Amino acid sequence: MSQVIFVQDLRKAYRRIKRQHGPFGALKGLFSPDYLTHDAVSGVSFTVSEGERVAIIGPNGAGKSTTLKMLSGVLQPSSGTVEVLGLTPWRQRRALAYGIGVVFGQRSQLWAELPARDAFGLLRRIYDQDAEVFRRRLGELTDRFGLADILDQPVRQLSLGQRMRCEITASLLHGPKLLFLDEPTIGLDITAKAAIRDFIREQSREVGQTVLLTSHDTRDIELVCERVIVINEGRIVVDQSVAELRRRFLDRKVVTIRSAAPEVAVDFPGVTRRASEPHTTILEVDTARVRIEQVIAMALAHGGIDDVAIEDPPMEEVIHAIYAAHASR
Amino acid sequence: MRSMPLTPRGEAQFVNAIASAIAGARFGAVQALAAWPVLLGRVMFYLLILVVLAALWDKVASEQVSPLAGMLPTGGLAVYVGVTEWVTLSVVAIQQRLEDDIRNGALEPYLLRPKSYLLQRVAPATGETMVRLAVLGAAGLAALAMSGRPLPAPGVLLALLLLGTMGCVLGMLLYVLVGLAAFWMRRVLPAMLIVQKLSFLLGGLVAPISLYPDWLYGFAKVTPFGAQLYWVGVQVLTPSAQLFWIGIGWQILWCVVLSALCALVWRAGLRKALREGL
Repeated sequence: MSQVIFVQDLRKAYRRIKRQHGPFGALKGLFSPDYLTHDAVSGVSFTVSEGERVAIIGPNGAGKSTTLKMLSGVLQPSSGTVEVLGLTPWRQRRALAYGIGVVFGQRSQLWAELPARDAFGLLRRIYDQDAEVFRRRLGELTDRFGLADILDQPVRQLSLGQRMRCEITASLLHGPKLLFLDEPTIGLDITAKAAIRDFIREQSREVGQTVLLTSHDTRDIELVCERVIVINEGRIVVDQSVAELRRRFLDRKVVTIRSAAPEVAVDFPGVTRRASEPHTTILEVDTARVRIEQVIAMALAHGGIDDVAIEDPPMEEVIHAIYAAHASR
Repeated sequence: MRSMPLTPRGEAQFVNAIASAIAGARFGAVQALAAWPVLLGRVMFYLLILVVLAALWDKVASEQVSPLAGMLPTGGLAVYVGVTEWVTLSVVAIQQRLEDDIRNGALEPYLLRPKSYLLQRVAPATGETMVRLAVLGAAGLAALAMSGRPLPAPGVLLALLLLGTMGCVLGMLLYVLVGLAAFWMRRVLPAMLIVQKLSFLLGGLVAPISLYPDWLYGFAKVTPFGAQLYWVGVQVLTPSAQLFWIGIGWQILWCVVLSALCALVWRAGLRKALREGL
């Protein structure tokens, strides 16, 4: 598999004028400004192969947006090397644009008063797409996304979920090899989120499209991506598969026991009972201190068990643990 | 890492850019028509201005209330004001869109497309402007006919159409320059106020600059504001082929100068944005 993204020792420092106090502060700042330098990204290196689906996450101000901007070509790094689809993004931004698609969950590339079909037609011209290829791709995406009934409605009349389906369609029409997704499910209901996630994952699998996603919704990361890069304070603190991430950061399992009795008492060091409903007992098990089979055995000893589910902790907890571990250093 | 060929080559790029611009202008025109209540409101505003200013200049001309009256053409300046307001109200406030894009970071999605940001923004605004020009022009002619004043000769109408279109192009270029100032100023209202007032005064929005002292008239008529408004309006005061060619000449000259300025300012702004972020 070829590399789609190559990043080595990428750095970005912002220089801002320090605000001067006092009535003449602004005037002084105009003629002899003092500068403050802030390192937003400090030596990030990674590669992404063709067809990979990677989440780049981090707390606010961690440097993930700055990194993505440098990858897409709208920000020039202070130093380091970036190649995306074999191009240097900030020098070959327009050439790169033919190969990438971008979805901003909080920004629309459609026009409120006009139907999405009109916007798609304009985008065809902007991307110099052949009319026949455009018709075929629009047909495919319309079928897959169920857009037939909404293509000719003004965008302002669409629900948020319908609009987001149109936004993603707009970013895929020119057949990009690499898709940047920035909070693609923000504000959507559960059904719409599921549809968007399924679509992105399946589309990537079918056509070998590389996906780079940022989201604060950890379900987006779990259900779409296979790899996570966590950035904090301008540095990569974690770069591994979603499954490994869980295993590495939390030696914990969540055991859900359904029983005829209202609750199952399991009293072991390393076992914590979580808020549960009657006939359902949820236990958090520290597998470094106690084995899962010991917990199950004790539960069985206390009475009948109807069902048992053993799960990894939610991704949200994993992410929280990463941030907490990094902050405590 | 292998390099993937992504761009169309050579002269095809130019042809594609023109096709994109035409598609963008068409899109803007459709957008303007879709928002017809807004268009209707603008027509009402235009007619209101015409009624008030026509009444003012008719009074000045007929009752000799000012020493200026002797210098005015027969029938006053109602039609002149109709023409200059027609151009002014047709121009889309593109500076506001540019400011919003630059201040809110909405510029980035445009930069991630393979065509120039200015092309993507100016082309639809041009389409919208052309729709306004047509609709307001029709409304102005209808109002003129209903007021009982004589309609300009067909040759003058054609000259007005060409000069008015160029006047709108100049107005838009001035607004683009103002909008691009957002890279440095963040809010462009102060710059916009200056351009509006200069347009009002040096362009001769409500009174022709030929009424000014000679030194000021000589200066105003060679400014982009004079090219935008005065050289259009003068065709209804003293229609002549000579004035038409002089007017078109100034308009083309300022169109070239302002386009070059827009390109320079855009490049400087883009460099700043790529270096410092938005």
